[in-house]
Amino acid sequence: MATVPIEHGLILAAILFAIGTIGVIVRRNIFFMLLSIEIMLNAAGLAFVSAGSLWGQPDGQIMFIFILTMAAAEVSIGLALIIQLYQRYHTLDVDASSEMRG
Amino acid sequence: MNASDLLALLPLIILAGTSVVVIIAIAFYRNYRLTVFLTLAGMVGSFLSLPFALSVQPRQVTPLLIVDGTTVFYIGLVLTTSFVVVLLSYQYFRDYDGNREEYYLLLILATLGSGVLVASNHFAAFFLGIEVLSVSLYALIAYPRYDRRRVEASIKYLILAGATSAFLLFGMALIYSVGGTLEFSSLAKAASLSPGMNNVLLIGWGMLIVGIGFKLALVPFHMWTPDVYQGAPAPITGFVATVSKGGVFALILRYFSQVPIYDVPSLWWVFAAIAIASMLLGNMLALMQTNVKRVLAYSSISHLGYLLIAFLSRGTEAQNAAAFYLVAYFATTLAGFGVITMLSDHENELEDLDSYRGLFWKRPGLALVFSAALLSLAGLPPSAGLVGKIFVAAAGVNSALWLLLIVLVIASVIGVFYYFRIMISLYRSPEADEERTISAPSLSMIGSVTLAVLVLLVVGLGIYPAPVMGIISRLITGLS
Repeated sequence: MATVPIEHGLILAAILFAIGTIGVIVRRNIFFMLLSIEIMLNAAGLAFVSAGSLWGQPDGQIMFIFILTMAAAEVSIGLALIIQLYQRYHTLDVDASSEMRG
Repeated sequence: MNASDLLALLPLIILAGTSVVVIIAIAFYRNYRLTVFLTLAGMVGSFLSLPFALSVQPRQVTPLLIVDGTTVFYIGLVLTTSFVVVLLSYQYFRDYDGNREEYYLLLILATLGSGVLVASNHFAAFFLGIEVLSVSLYALIAYPRYDRRRVEASIKYLILAGATSAFLLFGMALIYSVGGTLEFSSLAKAASLSPGMNNVLLIGWGMLIVGIGFKLALVPFHMWTPDVYQGAPAPITGFVATVSKGGVFALILRYFSQVPIYDVPSLWWVFAAIAIASMLLGNMLALMQTNVKRVLAYSSISHLGYLLIAFLSRGTEAQNAAAFYLVAYFATTLAGFGVITMLSDHENELEDLDSYRGLFWKRPGLALVFSAALLSLAGLPPSAGLVGKIFVAAAGVNSALWLLLIVLVIASVIGVFYYFRIMISLYRSPEADEERTISAPSLSMIGSVTLAVLVLLVVGLGIYPAPVMGIISRLITGLS
């Protein structure tokens, strides 16, 4: 069985990561920003899995499970904050909540 | 896992156990005083177990964590700082209408995250520690959620911290793909593997620096700092400035303990550039602020820049200097934010520079504490900040880092301006219209004792630093 070269996995991960980063920077809707962060985190997870398979170790996959767990925790707090944001500002646009400057 | 492993991890286990005890206590009997008491008891218990951990050190506990003198010292520092933050929070949240008890639960968890960070010797432990710390902080920053600015600060922190965590993880994955192990020793392995620079490794380190730079609020990753400092409740701002940054700084000291950073010139120069930018930009931006919390935010950026000089120097003296600087900086920052906390409650924070005008004539005690903190931040005698700066500068002189030292001197001179601007306004005669000036609750017993101890520490360390330096060199030197 032909194996996938490590470079391919890392390059795919890098492309996903770039998409996520651009999403965080360009999007102004808080939902899409959280989604973009998820894409970045999963790209890092993919990089871990490919690196783990290169060395034949389970470590990469274990890190991926950690990343999933942490992403879930982060999103649960993120969603709670989104509810608060909506109640205070009646919009999901993050630019609306930018009162502190200087 | 045998008995000595458990003994080595006892401080962290007690802290984790405390969080479980507190959550059960809240479920069955919701009482503010009881929760605070349990939190403080858990922290004291954890602190008292440090000698047991010290008796079995140095010990690698599973591949993830290492317990040695350095770990014990920094866990002790983190615990003491969190203890003070709990004491400061007591009055701040006493009259809060919502559920007040979970705040302390989150504070314990954040402390645990920082404790794991300083003990970690593996990327998995690094990641878990930093996430336990930051996820707790998201909730802590937005804790008094009826205020829009808290929510705003927390969302800004959440988005940026989430994105930089992804950078950190991607960097770890790239380093792993070159080094073949997630342990911190992979750095040594990867560096010996490729003396000519490996591109994947360089990108990985670059991404790691983004993550670390964000957590330490170094220029150019400092954008979140002023907003989060201003928006977070004052005790939590103190916590972000001390425990969260101290944990990460102890971690990078350990990460680069096997391959000294000056043996990797490209990395050394990146960190040197970051240090110079942080020192200069932090101090210059602080000049333009009219909000005391934002001034302290920019001041913390420049202080982390000073600290990087110790990190970039060689020898154990530099490690001791960094540890002492952290102690001095923690005590000073806590005293500063302690005063702001005492003048605020969860609804109204006294943060406008104008409203501090004439503080001395109404609250002489608080004004004197604040003056001591500002003197120490500016690095003037007799204060801990001066001694810390001398130690850091001495470490820099030993390694002949002249460029960094010149910047240190210039930045300190700029810093004196804005610290003095605050200090002068403390002693000016109060304004005629009293409305928007100080109307804070009267000082509680706990608050005044805490502040008194802190100010004694700040001045005491400036006059007689030998005992603390003795503890530091006994724990850190020879055992690292």
